[in-house]
Amino acid sequence: MSSTLSGSRRLGLAAASLLSVATLALSGCAGGGGASTGGAGSDASSVTVFNGATGTISENFNPFSSTALQPTLGVIFEPLFWYNAASDEEPMPLLAESFAWNEDGTQLTIKTREGVKWSDGEPFTAKDVAFTFNLVNETPELNTTGLAATAEATDDTTAVLTFTENSFMQEPSVLGNRGIVPEHIWKDVADPITETNPNPVGTGPFKVKDFTAQSYLLEKNDLYWEEGKPAINEVRYISLESADAATGALLAGEVDWMSSFLPGLEQILSDNENLSYVNTPALTASIFTCSNEELGCEGPQTDPAVRQAIYQGIDREQLNALAGGGFAGTASPTLVLPERDAAWIADPENTETPANANVEEARKVLDEAGWVEGSDGIREKDGERLSLGIQTVTGYSDFISLNDAMAQQLREVGIELKPTQITYNEWINNLNIGKYQLTLESIGLQPSNNPYYSYEKWYNSANTTPVGESALNNNTARYSNPVVDEALAAARATNDETVQKEQYGIIQDEIVRDMPYIPIYVNSLLTEFNTERATGWPTNEDPYALAATWKAWDNGIVLKNITPAE
Amino acid sequence: MKYILQKLGFYLIAFWAALTVNFFLPRLLPGNPVDIMLAKLAQRGPVTPEAREAVELLLGTNTEAPLIVQYWQYLGKLFTLDLGTSVAFFPASVTDIIAQTLPWTIGLIGVATVISFVLGVALGMLAGWKRGSWLDNLIPVTTMLQSVPYFWLALILLFVLGGMWDLFPLNGGYNVYETSPGWNLEFIGSVIYYGTLPALTIVISSVGGWMLGMRNMMVSTLSDDYILTAEAKGLRPLRIMTTYAARNAVLPSVAGFAISLGFVVAGSIVTEAVFSYPGIGSALLNAVGSNDYSLMQGLFLVITLSVLGANLLVDLLYSFIDPRTRARS
Repeated sequence: MSSTLSGSRRLGLAAASLLSVATLALSGCAGGGGASTGGAGSDASSVTVFNGATGTISENFNPFSSTALQPTLGVIFEPLFWYNAASDEEPMPLLAESFAWNEDGTQLTIKTREGVKWSDGEPFTAKDVAFTFNLVNETPELNTTGLAATAEATDDTTAVLTFTENSFMQEPSVLGNRGIVPEHIWKDVADPITETNPNPVGTGPFKVKDFTAQSYLLEKNDLYWEEGKPAINEVRYISLESADAATGALLAGEVDWMSSFLPGLEQILSDNENLSYVNTPALTASIFTCSNEELGCEGPQTDPAVRQAIYQGIDREQLNALAGGGFAGTASPTLVLPERDAAWIADPENTETPANANVEEARKVLDEAGWVEGSDGIREKDGERLSLGIQTVTGYSDFISLNDAMAQQLREVGIELKPTQITYNEWINNLNIGKYQLTLESIGLQPSNNPYYSYEKWYNSANTTPVGESALNNNTARYSNPVVDEALAAARATNDETVQKEQYGIIQDEIVRDMPYIPIYVNSLLTEFNTERATGWPTNEDPYALAATWKAWDNGIVLKNITPAE
Repeated sequence: MKYILQKLGFYLIAFWAALTVNFFLPRLLPGNPVDIMLAKLAQRGPVTPEAREAVELLLGTNTEAPLIVQYWQYLGKLFTLDLGTSVAFFPASVTDIIAQTLPWTIGLIGVATVISFVLGVALGMLAGWKRGSWLDNLIPVTTMLQSVPYFWLALILLFVLGGMWDLFPLNGGYNVYETSPGWNLEFIGSVIYYGTLPALTIVISSVGGWMLGMRNMMVSTLSDDYILTAEAKGLRPLRIMTTYAARNAVLPSVAGFAISLGFVVAGSIVTEAVFSYPGIGSALLNAVGSNDYSLMQGLFLVITLSVLGANLLVDLLYSFIDPRTRARS
């Protein structure tokens, strides 16, 4: 290649990726049957995972590091409890057996599991738990959860965490989101921040066997505490450059487990009997609005009536068919997941978003707020045109289709939507500093299914900033409502779920009216499996864990439960 | 000697200018590494508001210092070859990432460029020597292949040879399932096998230019008087073709080759994206995606050095092949 990468080529690459998915999908007939090229190697009970890693893989099995390789959390190191994000159930005990709070939420007593061994043969005790939390507490660089507690092991199976203030809401971070490390190894680690931990000693079902910059191999931990698990011997993680390459590898039988949206999935599956999939919608695709005039937002979307009209005016069934591939789930105006968290919704009216556009209602709302229709069908008020810019990332093809479809739908109501596509870096920057009118983003997963974490992050006025300053991925809509702040404070102070639900009811009434984040639908989360080498993957009927390959913790649960295919 | 010193001085200034651009260009990108890292973390699982402070401390992103101070620090560190720590691959150092990815790129793209050059020049020489032969008719075909967008050609070849006929692997640098890196036959064989298809696409898409250029130079050289003289002296045709005509005709191609050698490192992005090849291009894509200033600077530095180095080498080499260029000194 004598010339360098020119601009047009780069643009072309994105365009071509669509085509290549189509062509690769067609090739499914040819390549799908033969897994001869693929992954198993000599050992039958081994699976290959593609978890979205691209390019060179950098060795890092440090469970405290934000850039640790993803199986570090859950597959090699385990937390005390596992919080299942796929269904509404109590946390499952892993390294702990039970926990208890004192009355005012300042002391957490954890009973640890007996008979657990580290993969080097040393016994696991409550001392390791205490050591782990003390290390986090003493090292601000590792403290990503705002932990403020000292820990002490009162005997071999009891660890006590003492917090400086009421900390009920720390529960899922402490119990479910912290990999426990062995004291006998980590006490000698000179710098836990930059440690890459090349030979990790954990309690998880697998340990590292081989590492190269292109791929790494985990093998079964023979000392694993749960009888008879894991059943498979080896797990290989590979790196691929693009979703297209991953699709090709899946069809060729070189990948057993990956999470990616595949156009024409049903067709691919019917051509390849070994492939199956699970759909676990968990992220609510929403229109984020810069909603607060006082904090510097500009444009018609600062009027709650406009946001309400958008909420009523979009036809979600059509959007799902056009942009969601028909796989999206129904969202709730309260921004919790109606399927999983219906119990947390106080008013049943607020359980689900309307499936179809309610043009009458939307027009009525706008009429009442004083937006009158102009000559071209777009409304105006005091000379201001009801025209809104909506941003999304170049290459996010489903979001781009969403924007185009919504622009058409909202014209009916008299709202003009002007979609723009920008680079990821620019988009995330605009979102954080509030340099947008509308933007498409997903409401993500939280430490536990308790809605507190979503509400605190996206609605608390303490977590926002004026436009121009970064809101740090928190309350980027600049929403500010004293009623919500007060209810959050009340919910934070207790671990009584009935009291919390009452407070959430107050919050839900406020946000359903104000709608700073307008839910569209719960985006599909498709995960594909090859059942030729292993079975027992989560299914649509029994999604026993959130099967996405990038999901920390849940990975370990899946990998220890699958069994070699006969 | 003075000629060489002059050249070196010029390259030194060019190098400094490139370093300065290297420093400022990434900082003009919107966003900052901490936000992007947090956003990426949020895609994998819950991120609490407190995470930002921890990540800032972790990365040591001291954006408080004025740019000019950062610039001096940057220059100072360059001289001690300390390229810093990568954000995208934290806590790996930039030098590590370059050391891991550069050999792949130089191996694949470098070898393919050399093959393409040698093949193109040889075919062009023959085509120019025997005008009107079938080789001459091949030229429009190869230039057409060159005018097809490279990514398109690569995807089609990947689809046909890798997907439909299953002759070549679809992605990767070697068979990760059965071999592991090292100086053993299995691994080297695997690397060659996996590299063949990407190399083939590069050769096919670039050989036309070399061929056309060489053929046209051949034609005009062959009409020169000294060729006639050589023929009149009764020299063997092979000798006239190689040492008389081709040696002079190849000169512009050598200059072009130098430039394309320099761009080996920079031009690998598309190839590596299409074939999931583990080289420097994919590292650069990753770095830009994460606003990873240190890694971007490190990679740009490698690109700058390779472009300048290749040019310097050819400049010096040129003075040997073509004595006219140093006649004045």
